Amino acid sequence: MKLLALMKKEFHRFFHDPRLIITMLIPGLLIFCIYSILGSALWGEDETGYSFHVYVSGESALGTMVEEVVGDGWKMTPAEDIEAAKKQVEEGEATALVVFSEDFDEKMANYTPASGESAPAIVIYYNAADEGSLAFYQLATTAFDLYEQQISNKFNIVPHNYATDTDIVTSMMSGLLPFLVVIFIFSACMSVTLESVAGEKERGTLATILITSARRSDVALGKIIPLSCISAIGATSSFLGVILSLPKLMGMSIGGFMTSFGFVSYLALFLLILSVVPLIVSLVSVVSTYARSVKEASAYTSVVMILTMVLSIVSAFISGIGDWIVVVPVLNAVVCMQSILTGSMMIWQTFVSVGVNLVYTALLVFAISKMFSSERIMFGS
Amino acid sequence: MTEQAIFPEMGEEIVRAEGLRKTFTLSRKQQKIEKTGITRKTAVDGLSFSAYRGQIYGLLGPNGAGKTTTLRILSTLIRPDAGDAFVCGCSVLKEPQKVRDKIGFMTSELKLDGFFTPDYLFRFFGEMHGVDKDTIEKRKTELFSRFGIDKFAQVRVKDLSTGMKQKISLVVSIVHDPDVIIFDEPTNGLDVLTAKVVTDFLAELKNMGKSIILSTHIFSLVEKLCDRVSIIIDGKSVADGTLEDICAGDTLESKFFEIYKNVKGDEL
Ligand SMILES: Nc1ncnc2c1ncn2[C@@H]1O[C@H](COP(=O)(O)OP(=O)(O)O)[C@@H](O)[C@H]1O
Ligand SMILES: [Mg+2]
Repeated sequence: MKLLALMKKEFHRFFHDPRLIITMLIPGLLIFCIYSILGSALWGEDETGYSFHVYVSGESALGTMVEEVVGDGWKMTPAEDIEAAKKQVEEGEATALVVFSEDFDEKMANYTPASGESAPAIVIYYNAADEGSLAFYQLATTAFDLYEQQISNKFNIVPHNYATDTDIVTSMMSGLLPFLVVIFIFSACMSVTLESVAGEKERGTLATILITSARRSDVALGKIIPLSCISAIGATSSFLGVILSLPKLMGMSIGGFMTSFGFVSYLALFLLILSVVPLIVSLVSVVSTYARSVKEASAYTSVVMILTMVLSIVSAFISGIGDWIVVVPVLNAVVCMQSILTGSMMIWQTFVSVGVNLVYTALLVFAISKMFSSERIMFGS
Repeated sequence: MTEQAIFPEMGEEIVRAEGLRKTFTLSRKQQKIEKTGITRKTAVDGLSFSAYRGQIYGLLGPNGAGKTTTLRILSTLIRPDAGDAFVCGCSVLKEPQKVRDKIGFMTSELKLDGFFTPDYLFRFFGEMHGVDKDTIEKRKTELFSRFGIDKFAQVRVKDLSTGMKQKISLVVSIVHDPDVIIFDEPTNGLDVLTAKVVTDFLAELKNMGKSIILSTHIFSLVEKLCDRVSIIIDGKSVADGTLEDICAGDTLESKFFEIYKNVKGDEL
């Protein structure tokens, strides 16, 4: 009951103060604007002006089908020299190369999985680092998949991606994004928590609550839960800002960028973010409870934030960190997000990291309630 | 008027302090401020006293005598190193939660968040003390009209006058109808009008049958309000009794300095 009243008060405080709501949402908006502007400056405005150039080798009715799906503005040329065509795709001169295996249509019509032979194949050479190439790959595979579903799995699609791990797309996405996410979570948590915990302590409104018969643990949870929810809004806003503007920054279409992960990856990313928010809120709350003023608290918090930033960027760019990282709070999320973005997610890592972060949060909440009972910390004059 | 109010000596004992002691470890910064190299400071040194129902009890002493520390012990914000205190029979050491529901603690250090309205704050603190909703509403209507807050019930506290703010703090701190009200330096730092609001409020609380313990260094405040008084010097009670007994025909001020001289020698 008392916990509920404490939580309601915290939400009331936030949602009835337009100033606080705006400061929570503005970072996301700013990120979106700045990155988008930066992206357009970097990549120019002619997003529709590409000349797409797809090579096709081998004969198949499916080739014409893809041509129809893709529509105008795409030039399909029969490939005279496959090796030359591959080289062009790799170097970005051609959009993609589609190779149908020999007598594809005939084999597809007669193929039975029971025969034990390998199914006829379509090999698609493309470069995921290139917006046009990736978009073509996605359109073509979607079309093939749809067709294949009607004829009950009679051929294989073999993708061949020329984009390597060192490509700017993957390294930006997998290295920078988790780092940015952590910074945005941190700043979202910092703005509300400093104000609500250190601010209330400094102004003497927290002590007023501590002289009531409310339990210390309720007072601590009554801060952490609402502040986490509020920070999650800010973190989500910043996260959306990044997700929606990064493709522009990298000269890709939002759709192409988004479809490069699946639903599970999104869910895992979101869970990781949600587990880091209460952890950082609790961390900032511990610091805020300890500090004597908002000024002191923000000085300490900045140190913690810089430390987290440095460690995040280090763990994001060091390859081959051991599995032990899952027990390190916050950094476990950075590394997990990174592996999600590079497509090498391990489900157990994500779950363990989320769990570990929640355990740390619980420990910190316990520490805060102990600190609330400490006369030296609360009334040390 | 109850019998207890007419015959104060016969009033039931409501707060009892037994040999309270509190020693602080001074930080380096505090040592500099206190201009000593001593690392420990005994703020309260074996203090005992009793306060009775329906009366106002005053702790009178100079700055640094240990008054605030004593009141913080009574209100369970800090724990004594030795001794114990009982509020309505509940030990501050063993049943702090119960004690908190029996007292209203007021000091200038405890503030209300000016963002909220008196109405919201009253309900919130009522819930914090576990008072049920109907009782909160009943008490709110009664207290708000009694102290003239009703017209401002929906105005944010930060937009109200200092006197009104003070009244709201006072009313909110008795939302749970505590038997004992503890008040540290009631008029310190207040302008004359707000100070009057506070002293009138205390007199009103006494009329309502509440027991009050206050600390102050102002003689006139004790003379005006208190039934009993304890003179505190260096954490010890050096005189304790009814106002008449202590003064013995003299003014409180001259009596105080007489006692002070006896205790501390000639240093003033
Ligand atoms: N938290 C604390 N840490 C260190 N010293 C303290 C603390 N609180 C009070 N003191 C010291 O104890 C003494 C008594 O303080 P206090 O109870 O505030 O006196 P009063 O209220 O009578 O002015 C003072 O010397 C003060 O400096
Ligand atoms: Mg004091």
